[in-house]
Amino acid sequence: MTITHAERLQVKLYASATPPAGEDLVPVFHRWIREHVVDDDTLIDVVDYGHVKDGPGVALIGHGADYFYDESEGRKGLLFFRKRALEGDLRGRLQDAFTRTLEGAARLEGEGALDVAFGRDEVLVRILDRLHAPNDDASYAALEPLVREVAEAALGGAVTLERVGAGTKGPLSVRVRRA
Amino acid sequence: MPAKTWKSELAGRLPEELDREIDLFEGQIALRKQGKMDERLFAETRLRRGVYGQRYDNGLRDDGTGPKPLAFPCGELTKGPDTVWDAPGMQRIKIPYGKMSAEQLDMMADLAEELSDAILHVTTRQDIQLHFVHIEDTPDMHRRLASVGITTREACGNSVRNITACQFAGVCNDESFDVTPYAEAMTRFLLGHPDVQEFGRKFKIAFSGCDDHPCGLVTFHDLGAVGFVEDGKRYFKVVVGGGLGAVPVVAKVLAEKCPEEELLPLTQAVSRVFARLGEKQSRARARIKFLMQKFGIDELRRLVEEERKLLREDPRWTDYLSHLSATDEEPLRPGGPLALDGAPATFRAWAETNLRPQAQDGYYVATVTLPLGDFSSDQARVLADLARRYTGDTLRCTVEQNVALRWVSGADALALWEALDAAGLGAPGAGTIADPTSCPGTDTCKLGISSSRGLTGELRKRLTVLADDPVTRPLHVKTSGCFNSCGQHHVADIGFLGVSRNVGGRKVPHFNVVLGGQWTENAKSYGLVVGAVPSKSAPEAVEVLTRAYQEGREGDESFQAWVQRIGKGTIRKLLEPVSKAPSYEEDPSYYRDWGDPREYGTGDLGVGECAGEIVPWVEFGLTTSEQEQYEAQDLYDAGQHQAAAAKAFASMVTAAAALVRHLAGQVRDEPSDVVAAFRRHLVDTELFFDPFVKGKFADYFFRAFERRKFETDDPEAVHALLDEARLFLEASHACYQRLGATPPPSAAGLIQPAAE
Ligand code: SF4
Repeated sequence: MTITHAERLQVKLYASATPPAGEDLVPVFHRWIREHVVDDDTLIDVVDYGHVKDGPGVALIGHGADYFYDESEGRKGLLFFRKRALEGDLRGRLQDAFTRTLEGAARLEGEGALDVAFGRDEVLVRILDRLHAPNDDASYAALEPLVREVAEAALGGAVTLERVGAGTKGPLSVRVRRA
Repeated sequence: MPAKTWKSELAGRLPEELDREIDLFEGQIALRKQGKMDERLFAETRLRRGVYGQRYDNGLRDDGTGPKPLAFPCGELTKGPDTVWDAPGMQRIKIPYGKMSAEQLDMMADLAEELSDAILHVTTRQDIQLHFVHIEDTPDMHRRLASVGITTREACGNSVRNITACQFAGVCNDESFDVTPYAEAMTRFLLGHPDVQEFGRKFKIAFSGCDDHPCGLVTFHDLGAVGFVEDGKRYFKVVVGGGLGAVPVVAKVLAEKCPEEELLPLTQAVSRVFARLGEKQSRARARIKFLMQKFGIDELRRLVEEERKLLREDPRWTDYLSHLSATDEEPLRPGGPLALDGAPATFRAWAETNLRPQAQDGYYVATVTLPLGDFSSDQARVLADLARRYTGDTLRCTVEQNVALRWVSGADALALWEALDAAGLGAPGAGTIADPTSCPGTDTCKLGISSSRGLTGELRKRLTVLADDPVTRPLHVKTSGCFNSCGQHHVADIGFLGVSRNVGGRKVPHFNVVLGGQWTENAKSYGLVVGAVPSKSAPEAVEVLTRAYQEGREGDESFQAWVQRIGKGTIRKLLEPVSKAPSYEEDPSYYRDWGDPREYGTGDLGVGECAGEIVPWVEFGLTTSEQEQYEAQDLYDAGQHQAAAAKAFASMVTAAAALVRHLAGQVRDEPSDVVAAFRRHLVDTELFFDPFVKGKFADYFFRAFERRKFETDDPEAVHALLDEARLFLEASHACYQRLGATPPPSAAGLIQPAAE
């Protein structure tokens, strides 16, 4: 199954309660660049797409990965996007993405002035690699056990999975909920 | 199992030539990585495939405390001079005359999501751009685009860029005929044509179906073709040598009446003349407008006619004429009446500005307003589905950075709008003051000086109310982040051009306010700078100007006529209250640009302890120069062209003298002395050089000096001189900022005290 070669993937945690406006994240992300808060990647730039409804929100662009204060699906959240520069297979990349998303969320929650919190009981995983992981049943069948295994380890308990966006042109996606 | 590749996946499904070209490009990427290809050659190679640089790709980023290196893993590897290999770049995707299919849009949505930041950006030349793309992802991107019939070939570089045309072509009530098949034929004919490979600069072509409306904007193109019919036969008026850029030039008529069968050979002849005689060494003077200025339009026409005679017959010149209907579009659904009665008010408001009846009964063009030209991958897929469901697959990007859906039945308009609105695409105001356009500016462009997108985003929020007033609604507001004018501010009613100013020893982002441009009649005339305002005051400047226009206009006087009548002096007085930045201590927000919390460019300028209190003499000189430019504009407006030219030149002398004195002490006020000292101290030392265009602005000064008797009364030539004087002053400000309030010892050490 070629899905193990999939390189690009996203993990999103949803903001709870009343999330801050996207523009409030702009100075925070700029500071993250200045302070090199991610020590094994180069953070490059910040872009505010708040004018695009339900779009990518505010992007912190990096070399190997991006962080978005994402607004897609009409729900704000922290979305980690692994783009490149990670050896290994999809399991390893999923593990890394979960870890970094959780770390990023904790870091944002630690930004007192932002007053943001992210739930840990719902996660969206998207595989942005239509070559190795087209949005079809076979890909989902291969992805499902991997996500379950990684999510249970990362979230510390059993999870339920729900495929989302089946039959659409969007990427292969799965919603994870803590059981 | 070995990993699949897009190359293997798409094998046999790409047009052979495109497939080969992309393989070649992939090979060139490998060669460059192995150090076997020169970086300059590689840069032009990738540009010709639309793979462009982006801000910070020199590996440096000012984080608000000064420029800091960005640590990319590629080490010393570059993809061009001063362009780090790993730094993300921009992919420009050529969309000939803006026309795209739902399938193509779906593909671009996927690519934006996987390889960019999930945003598609429509440019003012009907392209789509994706940002933050890694060079090594581009060959597969190109393959996937080729699989849906898109090539990025010659999207950038010194070649024929995207050929644009009015988005209403074929469905317009006012057009002479549909120019689509001609734009298509020209695109195919020139793509990769050997006669367009040796240009010194880019070459932009536009089509229009009529002379009166602005959709084609032919007058600021290198070559423009306006269709008309006479005695039942189709002709084009062909114009050449137009351009915006630093000094805008209105194209001149090359052929009043070019028969349709002559259009391609004539263009080929123009291309050959441009390739042969156009400037190659100095990029700053390499567009065809300079060739036109050098020879004059009559001599250029003669050269083109001579060249035309030498061309060998090519069947492609006329083959397409036998099947002009090949580009015709078919509606999917029967036309029907637009029912506004009883429809929601929000729909009616949208219909008023965003629906335009087609020439074909019962059909409309629906314009989807895109804020800042941006839409997400999710929205792109919605648009593609709606195009399939309602229109028979007919989408076009517009030069106002929107997307048009053609062949919408009036009976479907409400359902279409509801679906658009649900996706966040149902905003009204297309083509009004509430729909300002902008170039990328400092957000992503390497050359940006001020945040054109940041300002435009702010204007969008504030100008909606002005769209309710029929007086201000039709005004166009356009913003460029620098003098290259990609935001087309010269042809806006109110244009903004990003510049930077020194206030109390700190840089403050500013915008020049450009008024009086004409959008109609294919953007027939260009505006002039009336002054600069701090970036943070630019929205107030719009409010001040529109309020004064609302209150002071006579009858149905246009904005342009109002500007002309009350004069720039009065306008400067109106703007005075919003022209000055407060001190840093009073309001530091002026020292940051829109949407950017970093201090604006302080890293480039050491701020001395007393910098906030002492005004160096050079600043007085630059201010005086500015004042002289205003006087030159007033003289120009009064029709005193020679006096205006002399005053514009005097303003250049004043600015140059201020810089010379800043560096070298004394110089007499005689222009010849100032020129000599300026050349020695600022040009020979390259201190005046712009990082990108080098000595271009100094050349303006030297040329003005050579022509200093100013006997010309030609308003266009004087207008150009005024523009050049303005740019020279901006370059002087920039030079002063680089030097700092106290010139660095290294600069002072380079020069001897002036002997004058
Ligand atoms: S006008 Fe200047 S800032 Fe704007 S896109 Fe063009 S070059 Fe860049």
